[in-house]
Amino acid sequence: MNIAMNPTQTKASAGTVAKPAPSSIIFDKVSVVFETAKLTAVSEFSLNIAPGEFVSIVGPSGCGKTTLLNFAAGLLPSSAGRGTMLVNGKPPVTGSHDVAYMLARDALAPWRTALGNAELGTEVRGVPAEKRRARALDLLEKVGLKGFEDAYPKALSQGMRQRVALARTFSLDSPILLMDEPFGALDAQTKLQLEDVLLSLWQRERRTVLFITHDLSEAVSMSDRVIVMSSRPGRIIADVPITLGRPRSVRALQKEAHYHELYSQVWSRLEEGLSQ
Amino acid sequence: MTDERMWGSGKIWAARLVLLAVFFVFWEWAANSKLVDPILIGRPTGIVQYLWQEVFVTQSLLSDFYWSMGGTVIAFVLGSVSGVLVGMLFVTSPTTEAVFNPIFTALNAMPRLALAPLFIIWFGLGLGSKVAVGVSLTFFIVLTSTVAGGRGVNPDHITLARTLGASESQIFRKFVLPSAVPVIFNGLRLGLVFALLGVIGAELFASEHGLGQTLSVLAASFKTDGVFGIIFLLSMIGVGISWGMTSLENRLLRWR
Repeated sequence: MNIAMNPTQTKASAGTVAKPAPSSIIFDKVSVVFETAKLTAVSEFSLNIAPGEFVSIVGPSGCGKTTLLNFAAGLLPSSAGRGTMLVNGKPPVTGSHDVAYMLARDALAPWRTALGNAELGTEVRGVPAEKRRARALDLLEKVGLKGFEDAYPKALSQGMRQRVALARTFSLDSPILLMDEPFGALDAQTKLQLEDVLLSLWQRERRTVLFITHDLSEAVSMSDRVIVMSSRPGRIIADVPITLGRPRSVRALQKEAHYHELYSQVWSRLEEGLSQ
Repeated sequence: MTDERMWGSGKIWAARLVLLAVFFVFWEWAANSKLVDPILIGRPTGIVQYLWQEVFVTQSLLSDFYWSMGGTVIAFVLGSVSGVLVGMLFVTSPTTEAVFNPIFTALNAMPRLALAPLFIIWFGLGLGSKVAVGVSLTFFIVLTSTVAGGRGVNPDHITLARTLGASESQIFRKFVLPSAVPVIFNGLRLGLVFALLGVIGAELFASEHGLGQTLSVLAASFKTDGVFGIIFLLSMIGVGISWGMTSLENRLLRWR
């Protein structure tokens, strides 16, 4: 089943991948400086992300990768950013409907059921009740939570809670998804499962994803491109295309030789960056 | 397993009853044998007799009960509604809080029962002065818990709300308010107990009706059985209030 999307924002209906010309996210010589802390978090960062592309940024902690994501989400004070940044052709604005943001922690509302949480985002953005309910139910089923619609978060495991957060994020019809280490707090097995859930959701619609992680295997197994950053002030030290086929299964990849080659390639670039 | 647990709780109940029975028998014996003057401690049989007479035969305590409970409920409603509203105002407008906070802190530091004589001058011997003392206690308790609850919102929820483009009013209604409810509820539970305390306390000073007024009359004429009887009634009311609030909380806050 396909999620109804705003036609002007839809770049790809399920199956066919159209490639409109403009980049979905553009960083052009972006620097982020926090004046009060006298801290340059990111320096001259340039990156173009095409519509429908899944791009991960990896780097040592403190390299400014989350700062870049927050800049794109409009969460930074405008005085902090230098250079040009365009999200869907516009400068970043907090709360832009072009963007769906997913945090490292699930941020579920404990007073809402799984269903209530799945429709929280669309509710805030004013999607009519029937439409958002149908969408939330569909997504809860797709993330494997059929039968748990009325469960409160306290009754759900970490993995299930993050599945609800995925449903909440994908219920929004934003063409761009910004994800800040969404699976960082999960154990290894659950993480692999949720990575596959994310890929299956993404493969239906091919929205643009900017994914932040410090987990190389996660980045390599899911992305079209992996951006490797140096430690602070963060710069790009490698931009590695991931030439693995689609659709993929993260769990199946674990046994594939080409995946491990790409992994060691990215790892050696990251190592260079750390030793600099 | 369940059998064992029921048997266990049955034993605990039996132990409680035995303990209470021993206590009352000893009390009765101590008073009858003049080990302690009955004027000081009354008699359990006298207390039961008093309660039976005044509750079921003459029913004079019932009207006192209604007066006291009426005052408590009115004081609770006025105090908690204004406490929640002012608390929410403080949460949404830190400037307002900055202005009022020291004044309210000073008012809250006053021993409120000491204001009862003043309230009696202002509002008379009737219900008004009792409600005033109750409100003056309940308001600050509920205010404090509302502010604490409103401040305790999860920062992740605010980040999420901002990226969703939520308006200030949406952030308040969908995130701040619901996350404050459990803390506010604790304040309401305490507020209700303090509303009762304020009303009974004010009745002890001077009143036309109420359990507190009857208590003070009985004490002044050394009717110790009656004093104990009313104290027993008041503690039953307190237990009932706590129990009622807890079951209401369990029903409303199932998600916790």
